[in-house]
Amino acid sequence: MSPDLIQLFVGSILLGGIYGLAAIGLSITFGVLNILNLAHGEFLMLGSLMGYLLFVFLGVNPFLSAVIVIPIFIVAGVGFYFLLLRPVNATPPDKLLVSSILITLGASLIIEDLTSFFWKWPATGISYSLPPLELNGIVISTTRLVILVFVFSLALLLQLSLQKSCFGKSIRAIIQCREGAILVGVPISLVSALTFGIGTALAAVAGVFYVTLFTVTPVMGIPLTVKYMCIVVLGGMGSLVGPVIGGIILGLAESLTAYYFGAEWSPAIAIFLLILILIIKPHGLFGKKG
Amino acid sequence: MIKKVTFLIFLLVISTCTGIQVFAGPVPETIHIGATVSETGHFSSEVGPFRRLMGSWAEIINEKGGIMLKGYNKRLPVKFTTYDDRSDQATVKKYYERLISIDKVHLLLGPYSSPLTLAASTAGENHRVPFIAICANSPKIYDRGFKWIVAVIDLGPRYTYRYWDMIRDEGKAKSVSFVVENTIHPMGVYDGSKKFAEEAGLKIFSSDIIPADTRDFTPVIIKLKNKDPDIVYVSSNIPFAINFIKQAYEMRLNPREYHCIHHSGVFKNALGGSAESIVGQSYWVNGMKLGDTALINNVLKRSGISEPMYPWSPAYVASFQIVQAAIERAGSLNNKSLMNNLRNLKIDTVLGRASFHKTGYGSVNTYPSQIQNGRYKIIYPPDVATGRHVYPRPAWR
Repeated sequence: MSPDLIQLFVGSILLGGIYGLAAIGLSITFGVLNILNLAHGEFLMLGSLMGYLLFVFLGVNPFLSAVIVIPIFIVAGVGFYFLLLRPVNATPPDKLLVSSILITLGASLIIEDLTSFFWKWPATGISYSLPPLELNGIVISTTRLVILVFVFSLALLLQLSLQKSCFGKSIRAIIQCREGAILVGVPISLVSALTFGIGTALAAVAGVFYVTLFTVTPVMGIPLTVKYMCIVVLGGMGSLVGPVIGGIILGLAESLTAYYFGAEWSPAIAIFLLILILIIKPHGLFGKKG
Repeated sequence: MIKKVTFLIFLLVISTCTGIQVFAGPVPETIHIGATVSETGHFSSEVGPFRRLMGSWAEIINEKGGIMLKGYNKRLPVKFTTYDDRSDQATVKKYYERLISIDKVHLLLGPYSSPLTLAASTAGENHRVPFIAICANSPKIYDRGFKWIVAVIDLGPRYTYRYWDMIRDEGKAKSVSFVVENTIHPMGVYDGSKKFAEEAGLKIFSSDIIPADTRDFTPVIIKLKNKDPDIVYVSSNIPFAINFIKQAYEMRLNPREYHCIHHSGVFKNALGGSAESIVGQSYWVNGMKLGDTALINNVLKRSGISEPMYPWSPAYVASFQIVQAAIERAGSLNNKSLMNNLRNLKIDTVLGRASFHKTGYGSVNTYPSQIQNGRYKIIYPPDVATGRHVYPRPAWR
């Protein structure tokens, strides 16, 4: 394999990990609650703006900021759920899905407009970078590598929590049979709210990493939600591993297309790939039937 | 009867020749100027607080009693009506119609960017209200045969011509690769720059046209590393340039020179030390020997806006000067008279000499500037330069 190709693979894996982190939150929200959260990108945007403020005004390292935003956004997510989503939670699944789309889209527009109005700093990014590693002519961005390790650790922690903890078992019980979970005394509302809170916090952590690597604006949320939805569909709804693998596949496909055919073809190949995988595996790479 | 008719014809001729409104109706109480500002939406980061800029200039003028209009033989204060266009074409169109039909403004200042100006300027044309475009340099705007539009700045394809003059004069760089954001303004600048680069004798190694929302530049950077051009020329808006340079720094892409057409304070702050020695374009930097520096400093200070963070602010101040000069020369707020005077105007603004081509575009253009020790230095031409061009730039290690 040529060094250029190896460099492309390394770059795509590092970028795909960040895509994956944001997509995990969207995936578990949909898998557990049957709620398609179109405000997910807005929480990512808010997380990135908070990361920016912490870095610029208090000099907080982005990796520390990623930890700081977790409890804040869990609370925000729980509040969002109780305020806007719980009232429609008792509706049948098909109606719940439609209601959740409308509610979260409306919320997304409100968050975007309010943030645009109050956010007085120009298009923002932070000057944070770790020295790169160079191995046999292959340059590896240390910042992206550390982020990837952080993402995998978080995904592993979530997976373990789902398998071993009482909270995780409650979530799995809801996924398997909602009525059964109610009968055995699982506090549906609380577990649902906490799950939504965790999904929101994951978006916010991804946002902190996002501002470390890229520029952010208050209007970036909706396009990002669409991109992460593609990744979730690719990887399989409700899966934890799926979005990470989906993110890496998408990143790789875009990079190879840009390298061989030109960058203008990258967005088209992403959609083509999505359609192809949905034809071969309608439930996504790691999604389960039903 | 014949005497009366002769006298009326005489007045009509005088009025047409001098632009002075002889048949003035009721004297207006204010000079009413309409505009929109992208306070929200994706352009808010470029011009968000510019309502304050307009307010500050109006304050300065009104403290002196306003602008003298000979046709009414009195000074009139300036009043702005502005709306937030949300950086959106449909919204901007709606508000410019409103400014004319409901607010009854006497003239219009354009919104930020070519796409918004393209949409907004039809209102001025349809209702025959003078429209002064500010930050809009796409040739598409001025190729429509509109009669009621003039612009402060020169066309996009000529945006960096002074940079290419400098490269030709120095004779050091021999090759260039273009990295271009696929949006209207960067593409326009690229079209012109490609020709200027060829005329300057440079070999063009590659041109990558890239979607605006691209986040991963690995493929392009690998190709650029292999080609090793002297200049990597990034024709893009600021967010795109930040994302590209950030990754180029991480991957240690080291051409002899980076040129990013927009490299304002936002760019510098987001990149920190890696922005050092990057060349770009500036309309004005503090210390330049150009125009009424006191006015620009006064307007910026009152509005609390800093030029490096908002590099378009000097162009707005130039537009205010153009408005003032056109009104003073017209001596009235008659639309035809204002437009005639605007078209024939030749004045020294804070950004240098301003005049207008017959299709409407302006003459004000940028100067190449380089970030040196965290400050912006104009590096060409020598008569306005505030520093020397550092070439080649120190490589990232």
